[in-house]
Amino acid sequence: MKNPVMPASGTFGAGREYSEFIDLNCLGALVVKTVTLRPRDGNAPPRLYEVSSGMLNSIGLQNEGIDHFIEHDLPYLRQFDVPIIINIAGNTLEEYAQLCREIKGVEGISGIELNISCPNIKAGGIAFGASSRLAEQVTAAARYNTDLPLIVKLTPNVYNVSKIAQAVVYGGANAVSLINTLVGMSIDTNTFKPHLGNITGGLSGPAIKPVAVRMVWEVAQTVKVPIIGIGGINSTLDAIEFLLAGATAVAIGTANFVNPRVMIEIIDGIESFLRQRNMSDIRQIIGKVKV
Amino acid sequence: MFQVNADVIAKEEVIPGVFSLTIVSPVISENAKPGQFVHIACNQGGNFILRRPFSIHRIVPGKAFEILFRVVGRGTEALSRVKVYDILDVIGPLGNGFKYSERITSALLVAGGLGLAPLLYLAEELTNEQVKFYPMLGAQTKTKLLRYIDFKRIGKKTYVATDDGSSGHNGTVADLLNRTIHYIRPEIIYACGPEPMLRKVAQTADEFGVKCQVSLETKMACGVGVCLGCACVTRQGYKMVCKDGPVFDARDIIWDKEEIEPTLLGGYRCETAKVSDPG
Ligand SMILES: Cc1cc2nc3c(=O)[nH]c(=O)nc-3n(C[C@H](O)[C@H](O)[C@H](O)COP(=O)(O)OP(=O)(O)OC[C@H]3O[C@@H](n4cnc5c(N)ncnc54)[C@H](O)[C@@H]3O)c2cc1C
Ligand SMILES: Cc1cc2nc3c(=O)[nH]c(=O)nc-3n(C[C@H](O)[C@H](O)[C@H](O)COP(=O)(O)O)c2cc1C
Repeated sequence: MKNPVMPASGTFGAGREYSEFIDLNCLGALVVKTVTLRPRDGNAPPRLYEVSSGMLNSIGLQNEGIDHFIEHDLPYLRQFDVPIIINIAGNTLEEYAQLCREIKGVEGISGIELNISCPNIKAGGIAFGASSRLAEQVTAAARYNTDLPLIVKLTPNVYNVSKIAQAVVYGGANAVSLINTLVGMSIDTNTFKPHLGNITGGLSGPAIKPVAVRMVWEVAQTVKVPIIGIGGINSTLDAIEFLLAGATAVAIGTANFVNPRVMIEIIDGIESFLRQRNMSDIRQIIGKVKV
Repeated sequence: MFQVNADVIAKEEVIPGVFSLTIVSPVISENAKPGQFVHIACNQGGNFILRRPFSIHRIVPGKAFEILFRVVGRGTEALSRVKVYDILDVIGPLGNGFKYSERITSALLVAGGLGLAPLLYLAEELTNEQVKFYPMLGAQTKTKLLRYIDFKRIGKKTYVATDDGSSGHNGTVADLLNRTIHYIRPEIIYACGPEPMLRKVAQTADEFGVKCQVSLETKMACGVGVCLGCACVTRQGYKMVCKDGPVFDARDIIWDKEEIEPTLLGGYRCETAKVSDPG
């Protein structure tokens, strides 16, 4: 990786749109929107609502499915000199396993990120990421079916995120990324109806940053694998906070919508932050919070 | 699409609560088409973050563009406080505009309230293409009837409807359309305004077999087709207002929730189980 900055899944599509604003070759990595085995239409609108310092979304993992991704998006992405990380999700262990098999040997994918926020249909709908046992199982299922570096993306909607982190490392994760969105809800006081068609949605943006920094810090105390910090990063100093808390890299989500150039600004910003302090290596700040 | 830091060179409070801003951007003005929009960062340090979409209202060729907006919430409120010579962060031009050609024999432009914003730009382009068109403007009351003179100057005949009857037809613009379409007999209708109005316009157009394009509004986050947040329901499935629209063929839009269920929700492509982080 040229630098520790990448987009967060679902906020950068497969790169096409934002390539008109920035040079994708400058990114540390490119994480694509979640891909599922079969196409998904997504949730009924309205799908988003802005709240104080953040937004709620209930897109519903709309995507065209793995075959379409490999045929249409990957050839486009291959032309860039950037590690491509595919984010995948399934409703059963078998679906995750099959997705990993479909990716096997496909040229141009440098890593897999597991979105384990989906409900496990066979386990009564509880999210894979909400139980250490399921989280470990799903990681192991993926691990068994791929040799690529495996990142597991953790959901913050749990009581003890470190326990889940530990479980996915046992399951064979090479890295963890966190956090996904926090489940939230907002109600229209004129109509008495929820603002989202799906009733609840995922909160992202500056509002969730303190929660995310706390969780990264906790996980950094527990596991040894690299951590990708995500949640409300808007500026260089936001990114630095995550690095201090113990993240080795950061992913930027909602901020891309606000300013398509934000990742480039943060990449440059981290460099000058280090230079100003006469530091030559980013490792001089990773995990260096003084507590 | 471009992201520019652009100077505001003119500002006017057209009527109380409705403002126009003229913003300098050669690239946006050169590449724009009627019906496209710009996505503007309205807050500088406030507690909301997302940009706000506004139709391109007029073009100063090769130089600048104008937007016309009503203050309805914090984004538009912040934008109304912008001063001449302030700099705005603008992305545009975005979306697919109205489809038209010089071969159209006659067009009817139906505007509800601020829906006239993109239609004035369209009217000017139709004038350049020498297409005959009729503006039909709806407002609550006479004093809220905007850009009447501008439309009248270039339109064949301008129709007006006000909710209180203070000018033109006493009633809604959709109602006026219903009463007049049989003798105006346009080849095509271009409509923009609140959804209930668009729905009625689409219905009337359909009844009389007239082609109709509508410009839709939804909440947007990215504005460029990435986040998949501004979905609307069409006969071809979910479409994104920002990228596939905001202008759609009215016949493709599914207006009624009841109609959605069998075609989409629970359809074979939609896995119904709820996702905890529903990105
Ligand atoms: C493609 C497109 C083009 C647009 N062009 C224009 C334009 O040319 N001129 C213009 O004035 N507006 C236009 N809009 C609407 C404009 O984007 C919204 O009014 C604006 O985003 C509201 O932001 P806010 O922060 O002020 O209000 P919010 O805080 O988001 O909302 C405040 C209140 O206003 C209501 N509200 C939100 N949007 C609208 C709306 N469109 N009409 C009525 N009430 C609303 C909300 O329900 C809420 O109650 C357009 C929208 C789209 C999608
Ligand atoms: C509109 C939207 C769509 C998202 N889609 C996905 C997705 O498909 N897969 C995923 O793992 N995370 C998805 N996320 C979550 C983000 O990747 C990220 O974890 C979260 O938004 C927190 O980061 P942020 O505050 O910087 O946005 C989505 C977030 C948003 C706002």
